Amino acid sequence: MLNKRYCILSLSLFLLAACTLDKSEPESGGLLVLNIEHSVQQNPLVVDDFLYTNEAGNNYMVTEIQWFFSDMELIDASGNTFTFPEAEQVFYVDTDIEATKEIKFKTRIPAGNYSGIRFIFGLNEQKNKSNRFVNPPESFMFWPEYLGGGYHYMKLNGKWINPDGLTEPFNFHLGIGQVYETNNQNYASYTFGEANCYEHCEGYRPGSILPSVKAFIHNYFQVNIDDISFSVADGKQTNLTLEMKVENWFRNPHTYNHNQWGGSIMQQQDAMQMGCENGHDVFQVKPSE
Amino acid sequence: MNRYFLFPGLIIIMLLSACRDKKSAEVPEPTPYEINIPFAFPSILNIPEDNPMTEEGVQLGRYLFYDGRLSGRTHPDSLMTCATCHIQANNFEAGIDHPVFEGGIVHGITGKTTHHVMLPLTNLVWNRSGYGWSGFIYPENDQPFYRNLEDFVWLAVIAEDELAGDTTRVKELFQEIDGYPDLFLKAFGSSTVTFKNIQRAIAQFVRTLISSNSRFDKYLRGELQLTQSELNGYVLFTTEEGADCFHCHGGGGNPLFTTHLFYNNGKDTIFNDPLDRYSVTGNPMHRGAYKAPTLRNIALSGPYMHDGRFATLDEVIEFYSHHVKLSPQVDPLMHHVLRGGVQLTTQEKADLKAFILTLQDDEFLVNPDFGPPPLFPDQK
Repeated sequence: MLNKRYCILSLSLFLLAACTLDKSEPESGGLLVLNIEHSVQQNPLVVDDFLYTNEAGNNYMVTEIQWFFSDMELIDASGNTFTFPEAEQVFYVDTDIEATKEIKFKTRIPAGNYSGIRFIFGLNEQKNKSNRFVNPPESFMFWPEYLGGGYHYMKLNGKWINPDGLTEPFNFHLGIGQVYETNNQNYASYTFGEANCYEHCEGYRPGSILPSVKAFIHNYFQVNIDDISFSVADGKQTNLTLEMKVENWFRNPHTYNHNQWGGSIMQQQDAMQMGCENGHDVFQVKPSE
Repeated sequence: MNRYFLFPGLIIIMLLSACRDKKSAEVPEPTPYEINIPFAFPSILNIPEDNPMTEEGVQLGRYLFYDGRLSGRTHPDSLMTCATCHIQANNFEAGIDHPVFEGGIVHGITGKTTHHVMLPLTNLVWNRSGYGWSGFIYPENDQPFYRNLEDFVWLAVIAEDELAGDTTRVKELFQEIDGYPDLFLKAFGSSTVTFKNIQRAIAQFVRTLISSNSRFDKYLRGELQLTQSELNGYVLFTTEEGADCFHCHGGGGNPLFTTHLFYNNGKDTIFNDPLDRYSVTGNPMHRGAYKAPTLRNIALSGPYMHDGRFATLDEVIEFYSHHVKLSPQVDPLMHHVLRGGVQLTTQEKADLKAFILTLQDDEFLVNPDFGPPPLFPDQK
């Protein structure tokens, strides 16, 4: 009887010790948390107030920003690329929804030193398919079929003061662009300018009198962050901050003027292209403080 | 020694087990109610954890929804219930041609008119952004009585401009009506009628009111082709330089035909409604903002806007085309505001209306599962 008790006691101690040993070993790889921030002129974005002036001299305010980024990759010091699995390849960010501004990746990242990050602003051709998202808020980002389908890469909504001193809404919406038939008057051969902005912006009409869409243009682009250095350690969490510098959408290399482009650009490929080309220095990633 | 404890213990366990078996035999577990998600609809539903959908709960809710005694009164002149105003054939609204509620403007049992006009009860199982024109009932509300559809039932029963009832009187009345205690037993495991379970049952029934088989749904599923006019209207609906409806009212990618969110759509320049979106958020930019209602079956949902200022769809289209007003609070999505609207031609207005009418789901409007029960429990 006594021997049996000693046996049970020994076995229990052994199992406890085994459990303790297991727990003391750090898990392989580290976790990444990405905090999303929006800024204007190095200060946190303030919405609903005419605090900002863009490079074209437009006094403007922002009411909300909703956007997708996807296919994030980490590049280590040796040039090796870490790619997240499919389930963690598309993220929606919304200035009105706090939960979207902190992304906790579930996939563990190999320990090591990293010197670069890449991601897609918006969604690429393979991912940008209609009905990919059926649930809000992502589903509210749908891009109409007639204009190419899929989803808005970004809705940046706000207002600016136009030359008449009136407050005018703008929807800086980026997504798939359209190429229209050129045998009629159409935007591809249209001369833009303040004088005919309204006529242009309001001039689109579907049906037989309209030039039809003959092709679509995917405006997404890859963001390369190569001025960063951070480490990932086994069992540890690394916090990075992804910052969108809002004012940069409207500058470098193109000075984007709301007085020229008006309130809506989903059907103005030239404007969307300009916005996307300005996007190269909109984003910055740095270790969180 | 151990044996003396063992046998009584076993007997107690057996007795307890027998008791439990007896109870479960008397009150079978209710049958889960399955909602089939229509094509392209959201998969996330607004069903609170403390009120799972069951066949028995939905059946009870249907009885209560249509039983005029929900007012807590039995005199024929004093009967009132949800269906008094929420009429299936009119997209669960009163309808512009209602014989009592003139122009679709509803009033409660006391004769007092509701502050805002009605909103439809269609596809509310997908509404997770707040109920009512201001969204004052929403899941994250600090006030526990203003969080979900269940709370709207409570509010409708006690509100002076609706049923003006007394919850104690209502539950006591249904306790005494033959058949109802048994239905409560089957749905909620107790034949004691509680007002909480009345709320739960009606909310369950309302969550079954799903409209997903309009001509447009069939078009999306590839089952039919729309007419050229309807297709032109669809393009207008979903283009910024057309009628620009889609950002707030959905489309193929958001077949709810609403975001369930709140917008100042440029109806006014002075805002003095104490129950606009500002009353919920406290954000001055939300003055004059209201929920964008679903456009499903919208032709039957007049009068339109929160105050019912437009009687017909034509008037609404005319407003968005030529009469939108600029104010500091107007939503940025109303980017045509400086021109007074989207400037549709006569033909475009007709095409747009033709498309909007494809959102009418005739099957939903006559589905017997959503209509009044042939007999109430005490009429069997």
